[in-house]
Amino acid sequence: MSPFNFRPDQLAHEMGEYGRKLGKGVHNLMNAGEIDEGVTPRTEVYKEDKLTLYRYEAPNSVVQNRVPLLIVYALVNRPYMTDIQEDRSTIRNLLDHGQDVYLIDWGYPDEADHALTMDDYINGYIDRCVDVIRKRHKLDKINILGICQGGSFSLCYTSMHQDKVQNLVTMVTPVDFKTPDNMLSAWVQNIDVDLLVDTLGNIPGEMLNWTFLSLKPFSLTGQKYLSMVDVLQDEGKLKNFLRMEKWIFDSPDQAGETFRQFIKDFYQHNGFLEGGVRIGERALDLKNISCPVLNVFAEQDHLVPPDASRALKGRTGSRDYTELSFPGGHIGIYVSGKAQAQVTPAISSWLDERS
Amino acid sequence: MSETPFWNDDWMRVQQQYWEQWGEMSRKAMGMEQPARTPWENAMEHWWQAISPATDKATRGFMEKMMNQGKMFFRLGDELSKNMQNTKDWGDALNKTFEKMQDSFAAAAEQSSEVGEKGFSQLMGFWEGPMEAWRKAAGQLPMSSDFAGTPKLFEQLLGTPGLGYTREDEESYKELAQAWLHYQHALMSYNHFFADVGTASLRCMQGKIGELVKDGGKIESGRALYDTWVAACEEVYAEHTMTPEYSKVHGELVNALMAFKKKWRELQDNRLGMLGLPTTREVRTLQTRLQESRRELRALRSEMELLKDQVAELRTPQASEAPPAKPKAVTKKVAKKKVARKKAAAKQ
Repeated sequence: MSPFNFRPDQLAHEMGEYGRKLGKGVHNLMNAGEIDEGVTPRTEVYKEDKLTLYRYEAPNSVVQNRVPLLIVYALVNRPYMTDIQEDRSTIRNLLDHGQDVYLIDWGYPDEADHALTMDDYINGYIDRCVDVIRKRHKLDKINILGICQGGSFSLCYTSMHQDKVQNLVTMVTPVDFKTPDNMLSAWVQNIDVDLLVDTLGNIPGEMLNWTFLSLKPFSLTGQKYLSMVDVLQDEGKLKNFLRMEKWIFDSPDQAGETFRQFIKDFYQHNGFLEGGVRIGERALDLKNISCPVLNVFAEQDHLVPPDASRALKGRTGSRDYTELSFPGGHIGIYVSGKAQAQVTPAISSWLDERS
Repeated sequence: MSETPFWNDDWMRVQQQYWEQWGEMSRKAMGMEQPARTPWENAMEHWWQAISPATDKATRGFMEKMMNQGKMFFRLGDELSKNMQNTKDWGDALNKTFEKMQDSFAAAAEQSSEVGEKGFSQLMGFWEGPMEAWRKAAGQLPMSSDFAGTPKLFEQLLGTPGLGYTREDEESYKELAQAWLHYQHALMSYNHFFADVGTASLRCMQGKIGELVKDGGKIESGRALYDTWVAACEEVYAEHTMTPEYSKVHGELVNALMAFKKKWRELQDNRLGMLGLPTTREVRTLQTRLQESRRELRALRSEMELLKDQVAELRTPQASEAPPAKPKAVTKKVAKKKVARKKAAAKQ
């Protein structure tokens, strides 16, 4: 029995449908208008070099947690992923659940920033942002939520500035960089990072994009555009697709020296597990983290496999460690409806119980 | 059917005509020469050429991506349908479809050894993806396009006479040429790796369809066929790219390109230096020193802030809490100590 149940005339019909959707969709595509970057109103509270610290406007009707929450995003891609559209905004959802949300936008480093080190980012930029917030709220400690690479930075920061952190939330954060299913890690093991950085200075966003798209090249560079044809006629869905598309390709360059240390110390030498990492003049030790820790990861994460995040368990000095596993992917954990219903409220109530 | 400025039913009629013609063709004897592109693709191309000038750059980019993928899955369905017309054995039809594709992979591997990068671009669209992405990424990096595909310049460099003052230059150019050759070898290995993986993905596709038959399932559309193909490719790709062999091939590709670029940049720097212009090396040194100074300045500033705060803290409680007599006592003690020190110094 043949497994193919389509005749030439059916294929013709399918082609016709495809062509018609495409033809009608051009109009919507051309009239999609400006694609916004983030939807929740916010105010700039601090600026330094390319960095901007924002505070998001909370709804008046909600009672706010007295301890503000600082979101530390990765240096890869842009942080508006967390606020991508009104009904899929992690930030808006956190605000609605009573969190007072701040976010660091790293901006777009250029060649003049190539000498910025992890020390500059962690003990410099992050620390000054934390101090600004502490001062504004007259508090000794604040809450921190680190995302992906920003989660690794937050772990480093908390281990060196525990006196300034009330609670730490890590989301899709790599801790064990050498789990067997970590494709990115496998790929960088034979790369001469010194040569790469010495040659390029900053690491171009385009190169990072290539790496991420190469993780699933057929789905991410081909199949998804067929799916796009299916949503072309729905203006709302099309706009959502375009927002995501913009975000994916909105990839800032990475400061060369920071990239050098991050890849060498963490991806190649697995520094959180193996030790021996120094950030500036300080030695990194996760055991210095004594505040409550909530570790959130995604079960179908192809960038940061769940085991890479789970490795945090037992490695900090905290007596209050909680894990939250989400049945979705690395991006879905921010933008899916399920994540809005499950993850953000859970983070918020965890923080409320401890602030 | 409603019409938009970008769509009308005439286009549908063109497609209808195509399928009528195709049906006619399929009834004729085997062995007829097939057009390189299907009439459906031609119709699509004509339509797109007519409207694309009216579209903006972003729209054009998206449309081209969607059209390319559309062509891909219809070509797959088209080829299979044709083969299904000639046999009742689905396995045979599938094999014939993939044999044609396998020929493309083999040809690509052969070509890649001859012309390097260009060989892969002629590979059937699908497995071109990872390589195309690499080409784009590499092209975005500074300087790569200056050298890519310029054998003439390459020959000129190797032919540079090595006499007198140019001896050092010649050495540098030879090193550059060697770096370029090394990159070409690395690229070839990378291409070969993917050509092999492409073949494996065809086997995986056949396996998936075989499983479907066992379970009594069916592929009901061209799109479902395409999706199965994508799933097979992703599965095989993931399997192969997690191996130490791929890690090595990938690492060598990146390292070889970087070594070439670094050498190229050094040569550029030498030329700039001779002209008295700032070089990349110098600018980087300045940037590093500047960042060090900024770091020190920041540290001093925060230390200053800390000291200011401490001074302010010290002043506030002393003014309100300390009894007035105590400072005098301290002053006296200090005065006594000073006198004692003076006496001791006088004795010495």
